[in-house]
Amino acid sequence: MIKDQMTPIERMAAYNKGQQIDRLPCVPIVGNTAARVINARISELRGNGKLIAKAHVVAYKLFGYDVIRVFTDLYVQAEAMGAKIHYPYDQTAYLEVPAIDDISEIDSLEPADPYKDGNLPHHIEAMKIVAEEVGNEVTVTGPVTCPFTNASFLIGAENLVRLTLKDPDKVHKLCEISLETNLRYAKAIIDAGCTPSLTDAMSSNTVISPKQFKEFSYPYLKRLIDYIHSRGKSVTLHICGKTNKIWELMAEAGADCISIDNDANLLEAKQKVGHKVRLMGNIKPSETMLQGTVSDVKKAVFECIRQAYDSPKGYIVASGCSLPTETPFRNIHAMMDAVREIGYPPNEDVFNYMIYKGHFPSQYDSYCSDYI
Amino acid sequence: MSVGKEELFKELSDAVVNMDEDETVLLSTKVIVDGYDAYEAIDKGLADGMDRAGKLFEEEEYFIPELLMCSDAMYAGLDVLKPHIKLDSEGERYRVVIGVVEGDTHDIGKNLVKIMLESAGFEVFDLGRDIPPIRFVEKAKEVNAKIIALSTLMTTTMDGMEEVINILNQHNIRDQYKVMVGGGPISQRFADKIGADGYSVNAAEAVRLARKLVGGAA
Repeated sequence: MIKDQMTPIERMAAYNKGQQIDRLPCVPIVGNTAARVINARISELRGNGKLIAKAHVVAYKLFGYDVIRVFTDLYVQAEAMGAKIHYPYDQTAYLEVPAIDDISEIDSLEPADPYKDGNLPHHIEAMKIVAEEVGNEVTVTGPVTCPFTNASFLIGAENLVRLTLKDPDKVHKLCEISLETNLRYAKAIIDAGCTPSLTDAMSSNTVISPKQFKEFSYPYLKRLIDYIHSRGKSVTLHICGKTNKIWELMAEAGADCISIDNDANLLEAKQKVGHKVRLMGNIKPSETMLQGTVSDVKKAVFECIRQAYDSPKGYIVASGCSLPTETPFRNIHAMMDAVREIGYPPNEDVFNYMIYKGHFPSQYDSYCSDYI
Repeated sequence: MSVGKEELFKELSDAVVNMDEDETVLLSTKVIVDGYDAYEAIDKGLADGMDRAGKLFEEEEYFIPELLMCSDAMYAGLDVLKPHIKLDSEGERYRVVIGVVEGDTHDIGKNLVKIMLESAGFEVFDLGRDIPPIRFVEKAKEVNAKIIALSTLMTTTMDGMEEVINILNQHNIRDQYKVMVGGGPISQRFADKIGADGYSVNAAEAVRLARKLVGGAA
């Protein structure tokens, strides 16, 4: 088996400068699968910064991926602002009751204090430990749920999207207060020695229109990214679902790297915005990583690399979204191994072999993995 | 000056498409006052409007906010028209049990499918969200449903769908029901793998699938 020749930080630094690297950076976006690695129940992670840290350090050491994201769920900031989160015994937490029932209660909302409210202090503690233990060799990020998505946890998704048409001013208010929480949390994440990593699931065009994105998501993302840049950190912005009509705006908001999922087309992204922003994606988390075989995973990695390795601003092999908790370890290893086998610059012989084996029926016009 | 029936239904459909709840209520009331058939007004007015909204959604003219506002208008119209439906005009309505599988509380997609199925003439029994597998089977038996529709937006809860099918198999009643699945992480491949009868990628598609599964009627 091929071994890595560089640490993730060495690799990323060299890649950014256009120097020789052993392989492309690769990020299977591990979430609560990290709990499986240390054989912990997911509910045990709640309020336990040390255990969250342990899970993510051990998972990183097991797989050797290029970015650690100290992630349990998307709700930690909303929880700190009053949303009620349900923590099943051994599944990812979910929103039980939004922070307010009705928009008339909007004035009761306050931005969260990352050192005091909800479980935020435990997450900051976890990030700090991870950064101390392995931060010299790998980028450690802290997940920030962006204003529009966080707002949906404050008032409920259906209510929020209705308000975009019925009472846009209130949506702006909810985004503004979410942004304030985001800014404070981002500051705390950076002060803990980590990099904020942005997720804005509800801003997808699977939910709202590009026009609404421009009105309700873009301005807040831009202000958040401006702040993170002012602290000298680069920004990865993940939006799930359909995003091709907002890639330009995601780049304009200042994202250095956009993480796209399998509802988007990597090749199209390269052609449209590859000269402006780094791309990351988009192996199917569920169909390929959770349910696929090792061979399915390898095929998907080869196909993604073939589509995007020459994207002008760079490309990071990644899953399209966070991996499902029960993703088999062998598939995460397979993803990493495939990236190692193909090397960098990508080994033409490996490509040709895959084509010869019939894995790529068409040349450059196919979607990633199973759309073929 | 009373407008013609077809024109009124068209206006009702337009009001739904235009997300105009007040206008939809006004026109629905007019349907009753003018003595037109409520069911026909639902079918050719409200449901037609929802159908057009669904098409606009597929074409990416409309997004979730617009679709929800259309459904708000449609439901407001339904509240007016439903009490006036003549029983004999209902004909045979196929029954669907729908819900979000256990562990998942995201029900935006399920609600849209429910609305579209209802406006397409199905009788829908909505179990809500976070529903244990056995409840789907019990409810389907209880109401003599033809279809069990399962939704999830989360990868962590997909297994609950397979469990519903397992239970049907264990009870030797699998062939009495059609099982359809949908939601963000679900794919045709997943549907095939767990032995579901069909997968649909969105709400409008779910209606077409449901019609196909019951043999083109409804």
